[in-house]
Amino acid sequence: MSPDGVAVIGFVALFALMLLRVPVGIAMGFVGLVGFGYLAGPGPAMNLLAQSPIRTATSGEFAVIPMFLLMGALASTSGMSRELFRAANSFLGHFKGGLGIATIAACGGFAAICGSSVATAATFSSVAYPEMRRYGYPQSFATGVVAAGGTLGIMIPPSTVLAVYGLITEQDIGKLFVAGIIPGLVAVTMYIITINIIGAARPAFLPAGPRSSWSERAAALRDIWAVTLLFLFIIGGLYGGLFTATEAAGAGAGGAFIIALLRGRLTRAGFWQSCVETVRTTAAVFTILIGALLFGYFLTITQTPQKVTSFLTGLGLGRYGVLILIMVMYLVLGCIMDAMAMIILTIPIIFPVIKALGFDPIWFGVIIVMTVELGLIHPPVGMNVFVIKSVVKDVKISTIFYGVLPFVITDILRLAILIALPVLATFLPSHM
Amino acid sequence: MTRGPVDRFIDAIEMTAAVFLAVVTAITFVSVILRYIFAWQIPDSYDFGSLLLGILIFWGIAGASYRGEHITVDLLWSVAPPALKRAMDVFADLLTLACLGAFTWMMAVKVLSTLNDNVQTFDLRLPVWIFYFVAWIGLAAAILLLAVRTVRLLLRPDRAVRHANPQPLE
Amino acid sequence: QDKPIELRLSHWVPPSHPLQKAMEDWGASIEKASGGSIKYKVFPAQQLGKAFDHYDMARDGIADVTYINPGYQPGRFPVIGAGELPFLIADAKGGSQALDAWYRKYAAAEMKDVKFCLGFVHDPGAIHSRTKKVMVPGDIKGMKIRPAHATIAAFVTQLGGTNVQAGAPEVRDVLEKGVADAVTFPWGSVPLFGIDKVVKYHMDVPLYVTTFAWVMNKSRYDSMSVAQKKVIDEHCTNEWALKVAAPWADFEAAGRGKIKAEAGHEVYGVSAEQLAEWRKAAEPLHKNWADGVRKVRLDPDAVFKELQESLTKYKAAY
Ligand code: NA
Ligand code: NA
Repeated sequence: MSPDGVAVIGFVALFALMLLRVPVGIAMGFVGLVGFGYLAGPGPAMNLLAQSPIRTATSGEFAVIPMFLLMGALASTSGMSRELFRAANSFLGHFKGGLGIATIAACGGFAAICGSSVATAATFSSVAYPEMRRYGYPQSFATGVVAAGGTLGIMIPPSTVLAVYGLITEQDIGKLFVAGIIPGLVAVTMYIITINIIGAARPAFLPAGPRSSWSERAAALRDIWAVTLLFLFIIGGLYGGLFTATEAAGAGAGGAFIIALLRGRLTRAGFWQSCVETVRTTAAVFTILIGALLFGYFLTITQTPQKVTSFLTGLGLGRYGVLILIMVMYLVLGCIMDAMAMIILTIPIIFPVIKALGFDPIWFGVIIVMTVELGLIHPPVGMNVFVIKSVVKDVKISTIFYGVLPFVITDILRLAILIALPVLATFLPSHM
Repeated sequence: MTRGPVDRFIDAIEMTAAVFLAVVTAITFVSVILRYIFAWQIPDSYDFGSLLLGILIFWGIAGASYRGEHITVDLLWSVAPPALKRAMDVFADLLTLACLGAFTWMMAVKVLSTLNDNVQTFDLRLPVWIFYFVAWIGLAAAILLLAVRTVRLLLRPDRAVRHANPQPLE
Repeated sequence: QDKPIELRLSHWVPPSHPLQKAMEDWGASIEKASGGSIKYKVFPAQQLGKAFDHYDMARDGIADVTYINPGYQPGRFPVIGAGELPFLIADAKGGSQALDAWYRKYAAAEMKDVKFCLGFVHDPGAIHSRTKKVMVPGDIKGMKIRPAHATIAAFVTQLGGTNVQAGAPEVRDVLEKGVADAVTFPWGSVPLFGIDKVVKYHMDVPLYVTTFAWVMNKSRYDSMSVAQKKVIDEHCTNEWALKVAAPWADFEAAGRGKIKAEAGHEVYGVSAEQLAEWRKAAEPLHKNWADGVRKVRLDPDAVFKELQESLTKYKAAY
């Protein structure tokens, strides 16, 4: 059989196994090895298993992932999310839909020290959702806001998805993070505008909270120094060229630990719980990374990435036609797959196409994060939605999807803006 | 649910992995500080950091395999009737077990060849195989735990560890 | 009629590197000589595996022919490590022929898991510094240096400096961020990786070379017909070692002139006394190497003498 035929069968087998609920990483590794073995012999395939996984797991630069995850976990454990919400609420809560606006603002602030959108969504389902319900916000709106706000976690730096994209494509993670700043602020702004439009369109739908006094506001502001300091420390360090990305992650996690300790917010149990949670997530991410690399070697000897590139660029759709085709593919894939798994599986194939089309790799990193973000909140599989459901037990999944719908529309609009104006992503990194 | 010896074993594994994570982070953090304040670098900090990362990942995989916390596509599974669900779980577990088995075997080969080939760390020239071996222990534990999980799933589905909630990843 | 074969040739440098072309030329020549019965495909840029693993990849048949840097794995290939000793080899072309001619008979034992094809070295590298002008060994004390390989790393440690590990593409980043003060690099690679933007001082002394080899999967070779084996053997020769090394050598050597022409760079030599100081400082490295060679039951003095004679023969001794 020709390598092309083997590659096609490989993809079919991969999706079949994944649909049978074989773990994504295991399915990729298994198909990759069987395919490699078919083409190169079983001995080499088994030996690939001796070489590749341990090399992946002991790649020093990959340490960036667990350390950013740990920083987010420590920030959450030590109550930084609650402080952010209180501060945002004291300034914004009295507007119509103000608690929703405050939730978005606080999610944005928390995203500045947490690299995970699911963690951001989980944190604010317990911090902001009960407050919104207490003031009579509809369930659909309250969960929708948290689901959308959660996606800021991977848009605003630091971001584990951007870090993985950088590692796979060998792009500067620091530049990718800095590129996410303006699009992240655009996202926050557009979400807030969306809430205002909902409030204006359905006058009785969203209540307003009580107005806080200036002394309350000052007190709330004083509490968020820790978050501000951490963000400036990491992103300032990356922007100013003080740290490499791995060092920034280590410094951020260490900084979050020290701040929490000094403020007396970190128990021994809380610390170890954060570490254990991070280990679990890290193991899950690396299982996929390891599997994807094995699958990648199989694709390499079938020359699939080159063939996909010449196929897509030969379609005569033009650069933007191909780009839109790729993004539609991601949206479809986002119907069934996790964002991180999607990035790891597809970027090795898609990235050469993007390069061949002459798109800026840093800009595309931001675009791809925004695209997989959409996957986190659109049905039928939306990881953020599921996480909210696991925290807020009495809500129906369909209610959350209904509530998040306006934000999905906003996200698509934002994607169009970023494609039309790449400078929003490329301006800051070009000044590093 | 009462916590049996398997649960205590898995707790110990995860706690050890957590300690490795703390050490990797501490090494990175301290390296940055030393570099800026004392213009000094810990010898082999890069090798130590990456080798410990490998250990914590493999040990973490043991926990993830036992709890069924690997990332999965739940589209079909979530709408399947209970009997089919269970069949899918058993199939997925058996395939995972087979893959991890082959992996653990080849990793043992790697540990031995690293020993025989005298591979060392860059600065301190410490033998690398010891780190690989410690990582391998995590894999061996993963097999053991996954076997326990699969047997429970087959014989005592009520006691099997089910983790239907998605595991946060990004 | 010989069974048609397609060889997977693997290396870990970018496709723009002179080695890519060298490997393609080598493969094309084999294809032609075999009358098309041996085809080839080059996999660049670690597509088939990490740089560190390329020896094992050839051993295990993941690729058929790989480009390896034995110095990536300190302790594993003791004999060829002689090529890495400082202030030994002055020229890449003669140096490659000398190394290849000398190492062939040791390769059979030291790289026994593979078929050794050819060995070569790159154009001598120098120390490029961001922070200070390195003149004598004592200057290394307190510096953070990204070494080229384990031998230079040991040299740095011994002189009181510390090593910073980073892949070639990350070197600029670690220098820029002050993670490293200096790097040991061949000349052409300095502008190639943008390192000329961050370093100022270049000590123009052939400090070191790195040794490389092309190795082949044994069972793949054994499975070939007599005629095919002959074609491969005719491409695993001292002449081919030179052909493979020469374009890269020219590329690197051209970098020296490029840096000299750039503003803000200081390219300087050292005096005879200073050089003597360097040579003396490097003596413990020679001893380390000799100890490693003794462990595999060879006489280091005899082995080293042969290398020196070979270098003299090919006019590449420094
Ligand atoms: Na973030
Ligand atoms: Na989705």
